[in-house]
Amino acid sequence: MQRRTLATAFSALALLGLTSVPASAEDKPTVIRISFPGAGTGGRPLSGGSFPSNAHLFKEIDDEFKADGIRIEWKFFPGAGPALNESYANGLTDVAFGHGDLPLIVGRATGLKHRIVLSSSRFGSSYFVVPAGSTAKSIADLKGKRLATFKGTAGQLTLYRWLDKYGFSDKDFRVISLDNDSTKAALATNDIDGTNITPFDLQARGIARSILEIRDDPKITRPGTVWVGEEFEAKYPQIVQRIVTRLVKVAYWSTQEANREKELQAWATSGSQAYVDYKKDWESVSDLRTRINPLLDDYYVASLKNSIEETKKYKLIRKDVSIDGWIEPKYLNQALKELKLEDYWPQYDAEGKLKVDGRKLAARN
Amino acid sequence: MSASTDDASVFPPRGRGALPQPQLGALLDFARTGVGAVARRVGRAACGLILPAFVLAAWCSAAAHHWVPEQLLPAPASVWQSLRELWAAGDLQSHLGFSASRVAWSLAIGGSGGLLLGFGMGLSRTLRAYLYPSFNVAAQFPVLGWVPLLIIFAGIDEGLKISAISIAVVVPVTINTLKGIANIPPHLLEVSRVYRFSLAQVLWRVVLPAAAPSLFTGLRQAVMQAWLALVFVELLASSEGIGYLIVWGRQLSQPDLVVAGMVVIGAVGVLLDLALRWLESRVQRWRRAAF
Repeated sequence: MQRRTLATAFSALALLGLTSVPASAEDKPTVIRISFPGAGTGGRPLSGGSFPSNAHLFKEIDDEFKADGIRIEWKFFPGAGPALNESYANGLTDVAFGHGDLPLIVGRATGLKHRIVLSSSRFGSSYFVVPAGSTAKSIADLKGKRLATFKGTAGQLTLYRWLDKYGFSDKDFRVISLDNDSTKAALATNDIDGTNITPFDLQARGIARSILEIRDDPKITRPGTVWVGEEFEAKYPQIVQRIVTRLVKVAYWSTQEANREKELQAWATSGSQAYVDYKKDWESVSDLRTRINPLLDDYYVASLKNSIEETKKYKLIRKDVSIDGWIEPKYLNQALKELKLEDYWPQYDAEGKLKVDGRKLAARN
Repeated sequence: MSASTDDASVFPPRGRGALPQPQLGALLDFARTGVGAVARRVGRAACGLILPAFVLAAWCSAAAHHWVPEQLLPAPASVWQSLRELWAAGDLQSHLGFSASRVAWSLAIGGSGGLLLGFGMGLSRTLRAYLYPSFNVAAQFPVLGWVPLLIIFAGIDEGLKISAISIAVVVPVTINTLKGIANIPPHLLEVSRVYRFSLAQVLWRVVLPAAAPSLFTGLRQAVMQAWLALVFVELLASSEGIGYLIVWGRQLSQPDLVVAGMVVIGAVGVLLDLALRWLESRVQRWRRAAF
């Protein structure tokens, strides 16, 4: 009797397995699984700080596919970029809306196959922050002390670049891995001696203070990446085009000065950074197009190559990564053409210097 | 050992002409003799290897056929390779060193705390009445439950790790010490009273030897608990240790590091247990001589 129930259970499972195999030869999926490499505070399913976040926050992608009956499944990973890699390796993600350089490269090094379709963000300021009670005035004062970064994410390489810039290496410190929420808590309890985090809210609450800041240095931070799984791209190229075009449209909207307040406030709902953090962090950005820029220009390509070199230097990958066939700009070019935005964004050279200025905008006010 | 007339070693079956019935019986009897016993022990040990071999085979074919993405399940060969690389680079030794020192400190602190509590409550009914109910409640919490609370008092550094592991150690040591003392046969204590033993003599000559097996059980459990708790606390805010190696491997999508870490943890656990068993048999040699 028992054996029979077991057999029934197994055949039911097998049937389930058979029916859940996606039907092929269809030009549209029933669901698109879009992942963000992060989550709001306490795992809130929200993201902030980039135009792909706006695409989620303002339901742009959902609207795009509503008429087709395609459902968008949004995924947010408190485990950040590395967790996004695991999700994609498990076949649970189709599109990533902004992956940091380190996890992106690590994923590729382990054999994950994706195509880079546009960039999600670039530049941005970076701050070196210590607990409010700390007497440290420079990075040298923190030698041998405990620094926190979320290992495996782009933040790790950013920290290493900071240390490198001031003539140190990660071996000169005790570098521990903490996520964003834990880093804030650890600053408050003096459990870490330094970290990179946007400091304004923490400063206002008397928890931490910034001792150094680097504003929009192309050598310290690296662009984020939007990618599409190779299989998904091969199966649904038109869908990919529609996602990219809609994203570029959102990027255009996000660069409008009139929308600045609206988007900063929307980003703050994720809680991973407070409104004041975004407000002050973006104060120095007079033209939003410098940071909100989807282009895969010389700067993007050079940055990716540099990041690969660094990843190898710090022995974070074991297999070499080639960028041949990785970047697929055709969707972006098509979108720019369709939206007549080919000359809208400024282009940068490999060093991160302005190469071709963006379209002149009508004078403000 | 006695040899019966149909004992195979004494009266081996003659040639092939023998009937099948007695031959089978002879074989069965043969198994009872010395050589057979050795063979049986080997056989029993081999039985223990069947399951691991099966798992290893399943793992090999799962990796070879890519049933699970290689980013999630590494091939056994790559685990072996990273173990060797870690060893060659000295990383494995240094991580193991950090973990071992954490365990050693916790065993020293938690173990002595547990012995004190156990002896105290075992020897004094008053103390037991005051402490045991609270201890019993506290013993129910898993280490995981203590961690958020401990972070408040001990921060996230070594203090947290050692106090969390110590808590994991205190419980089995206390309970087994207590049990060992409670189970001392009353007539032994009566004899000691007859001989008018001093307290020190009672402790040294009666309580300690009689409770020793239970003390060792507690110690062995404590070492296992410490080793398990260690891995858990090293997953938090560490920059070294075997647990950290596992987290690191996961963050960098290098699952071979994760499995290598697991292999090391398993191997060290077994070694520790064997070492303690050996120590136990050495210390308690008198028991065999006595009975």
